[in-house]
Amino acid sequence: MIVPINISLSSPSDGNTFPPQLAQFGTEGLVLIELQGKLDVVGDSEGQTIGTLRIDDATKKSTLRIGHHLLEGKLVNLQKPLAVLHRHTPPSVKSSGEDYSDAPSHGDSVSQSAEPVSWDVMAVVKRKMVFSRRPMPMVGRASAIAPDSKGGTKAK
Amino acid sequence: MPEHTLKFSFSTVTDTAAFKLLELPTDLSKAIESSSGACSRWTIKGNPDEDAVLCTADKTYAIRSVVLSNSVLVATAAVSEDSGDSSVVVRDRLQEIMELVLSVPRLHKLDVLLRGKEYDEGQEEDDELYLGEAQDGRSKFTYQEARATLQASDTELDQGLKKRRVLILNGELRPISPPYLNAILELLLTHLVSLSLPHDSASVDKLCSALADGYDIRKDVCEQVMAWFGDIIIGEWSMDKTAVVREIGLGLLRPYRDESIRLDEFLAKWRKSVGDTFESLVSADLLSGNYLAQTDLLKEPPVVVLTYFPSSQLPIDPAARFTDLFLTRPRWKADEIAPFLADIVVDAKERDKFLLKYTRALTDAEGVWYTARAKYNG
Repeated sequence: MIVPINISLSSPSDGNTFPPQLAQFGTEGLVLIELQGKLDVVGDSEGQTIGTLRIDDATKKSTLRIGHHLLEGKLVNLQKPLAVLHRHTPPSVKSSGEDYSDAPSHGDSVSQSAEPVSWDVMAVVKRKMVFSRRPMPMVGRASAIAPDSKGGTKAK
Repeated sequence: MPEHTLKFSFSTVTDTAAFKLLELPTDLSKAIESSSGACSRWTIKGNPDEDAVLCTADKTYAIRSVVLSNSVLVATAAVSEDSGDSSVVVRDRLQEIMELVLSVPRLHKLDVLLRGKEYDEGQEEDDELYLGEAQDGRSKFTYQEARATLQASDTELDQGLKKRRVLILNGELRPISPPYLNAILELLLTHLVSLSLPHDSASVDKLCSALADGYDIRKDVCEQVMAWFGDIIIGEWSMDKTAVVREIGLGLLRPYRDESIRLDEFLAKWRKSVGDTFESLVSADLLSGNYLAQTDLLKEPPVVVLTYFPSSQLPIDPAARFTDLFLTRPRWKADEIAPFLADIVVDAKERDKFLLKYTRALTDAEGVWYTARAKYNG
């Protein structure tokens, strides 16, 4: 089977771009955020707030506050650039879109479907924002937590 | 200090598993950047039972998945509807990246797929017969199928077909039989002389017509053969002298698989069949990777003898190939073994890696010798 990869490094499709402080961590439309461990979500995560991201212009340090936890991050240059591929879903096949999302790889599960899967290179990223430390607990800031936040990071 | 709200995607169903990270080797990232968006596309090729490869226009890369212990969030920008200030949307969470490693094109399957489809002398008139046969059971293997199933870039596929001397007749792939190819080449050389055409700008039409009239060689076959051994520019054939001489030499050597031939005798034969004009190009080096040279010490004085030993018929798997090579000969000089590894490595560095892994190097007065690593478990 053949999976085409289109190279279309255009500006983000919806025209939204990051402000410069954020864009310096990736490209103007896309940033990679690396966390030690993973985000553990209970229930439906759709549209939920994870936390607050702050960037200090002077030190180029970023902090991420999730609930009671504060993470410190930094800018890391990647050794080799990463291409970010996005699965191309033709607008006409909305109905079969759900089937696709069950197949996380280019495996054989999608090989026989009528609509050929293709991927777009949407950006080439040379930097990433890395939160490599364990989260620090924050005391006395409970009032600032967004009520609907269900996110939390788990350190390894 | 500016604050940004980090949110999950608003459409998790379409976004989850819709992103992948692909680590780019330097040359590929340069190619992407220089092309400014309007460039060609890449393809990932492979059957479900094969490891997938990524093909650019002229290169093949093996894809390896690397699992990360950290998770990477792919975040894009969005404007929140209520306040209008920017927020960061996490579109997908990834635990792996894909790495690309330059690889040799996987064309070895071609030999199996094309078995029994050889195009030989005398089939010119039997074409319809052959077609009938094809409908019976033997399936055709077309160029389009080869492009779709073989894990190689287009340029590498074309080169591979040329190297294997495969004709494309009515879209179907038909390897030419070696004796027939040699016959055509020798005829081309003699006709260059008899029609007194210069070998660097010979009229394709004249040569093809001469071969078609005199020997019933199909014009399209003749033209493709000419394209393998030179360039055709606006109806004129500029012959690649060395390639023609090499192929004729190979044809002469091919029968000596089990018995050997004396080097001087072979070279004389070779010179005779290429004719006076190209005699000077004849050299055993042209055939490297296709013969074994041995000094026969029993004869007086000792003579060098050659046997046909094509690297293209050795196993593809490096371990199996080294086993074969060391069964053929217990020890090899570095420059002797190199031609027999050329088609399974991408560069000299990879070759040295294999030599380090599968052989033991010994140095004596004559230089470096490679011998098999001791294997007690077979």
